[in-house]
Amino acid sequence: MEENRDKGPEIVGFACSYCTFKASEMAGSLRMKYPEGIRVIQVPCSSRVDPAFVIKAILEGADGVFVAGCHPGDCHFIKGNFFTRRKIAALKEMFKAFSMDGRLKLFWVSAAEARRFVDKVTTMYKELKEERDAGKKN
Amino acid sequence: MQGKRIDREKLEGALKGFLKEPGQLIFGFGRKGGLVTHRMYRDDLHGFSMFNPYFSINGATLFRRVFSKDVKVLLMLRPCEIRSIVELIKLNQIEPEGITTLSIDCPGTVSLGAERDGLPDDPFEAKDYMVEHRDGMRWACTVCRERRGVVGDLGIRMAGDKSLWAFPYTEKGKAFLATIEVPEEEFKGGFLLGEDKKDAEPFATDMGTFSSELSRCILCKNCRDMCPICYCIDCLFNGDEYLPKGDALLNKIIRKGTDDLPEGRELFHMVRLYHVSQTCVGCGACEEACPQKIPLTKYFKGISERLQGMFSYMSGRDVKEIIPYLTFKEDELKDAED
Repeated sequence: MEENRDKGPEIVGFACSYCTFKASEMAGSLRMKYPEGIRVIQVPCSSRVDPAFVIKAILEGADGVFVAGCHPGDCHFIKGNFFTRRKIAALKEMFKAFSMDGRLKLFWVSAAEARRFVDKVTTMYKELKEERDAGKKN
Repeated sequence: MQGKRIDREKLEGALKGFLKEPGQLIFGFGRKGGLVTHRMYRDDLHGFSMFNPYFSINGATLFRRVFSKDVKVLLMLRPCEIRSIVELIKLNQIEPEGITTLSIDCPGTVSLGAERDGLPDDPFEAKDYMVEHRDGMRWACTVCRERRGVVGDLGIRMAGDKSLWAFPYTEKGKAFLATIEVPEEEFKGGFLLGEDKKDAEPFATDMGTFSSELSRCILCKNCRDMCPICYCIDCLFNGDEYLPKGDALLNKIIRKGTDDLPEGRELFHMVRLYHVSQTCVGCGACEEACPQKIPLTKYFKGISERLQGMFSYMSGRDVKEIIPYLTFKEDELKDAED
């Protein structure tokens, strides 16, 4: 476990199969690099993500979790991501109440935005890494 | 506000009249020995307890999954119980057609499990009893958000001049109030129970405190079973996906490292915290059911009020309001995205 820790933060991502997961595949085929601690899980729609999944991931050792889907209004199922937005915004507020802000992120990435996907996850990875390094020094 | 000035006898008379019709029931409280219990009345009002300052279970838990359209039920309960029933109607767990809800001003309650002397059964006596026994009041009641009987179809309120008043809020309430033969008048005085002030500071804690308070938890899941609005038959925590057992548990510990047992206490409570966040009425039934006396209400009430505040929602206020997670606006929460 300790060895794993030194590699860097582990991030679990829930990605909508119509937008963000497609973007992550495109990032792969374009040979773009993003940190290896990021595990993407394909879900049929971002609104499939029960906040229980996020809480389970965080409490069982993930350093961060992101939920990503199509831009609002572009959902394959017409309105799925509007529900995601409400649910995840509320979950973030709950994490804030538990002083765990920054552990959960919500991204909108369309199928064409491979660059944006890589930028978003890399920024999140770096933030979590810095936070952890600062924690180690103290 | 138009209402009727009533008293105990008149109200009991109307309730007895309601029971005379076939297929009509009353759900309320009844005295049993020195204690109080929820009771369903069919033909008489034997041992009926109209006003009592005791809380053991939220009545909505007992009334859940009643879908009968032929039987009419009059529910005479505390505001928190009526609010839970309103939420359960929204979640399609109670059929609203046959029920009339009647909320009573509640001056606060003591735990039924606590030591007590005497049993007040009059609203004003109950109020005095609660003033005297302020230390014994349940924590959930000291921070209650709505103790006034202003929810449901009909409200029984205590006026400042020690008279009882009934106010109808819906057509069903008006229909029941019409059976009390008292002229309707305009209410001008003040009420004994005022509006509750809200906490200015939003609830905040941290994982360490939460975790150490939960170290007493034995994962009996009584809090879930006694929660009026935690109604899923297929609860996530019934199988072993979320709370692994046997080999799966060993695997998990090998993968994750040293771990406290029983495994998954924080997970269970945090998932429950989120799942009931918009519908929690803060009745404190979870804490009442906890054999380890963990201060659960503090977390459930704090988190639910914070999360309901995001959508200007209050659980159980109105049957017409939609639960925030089941609806959306296209143009909102601009800062939700990172």
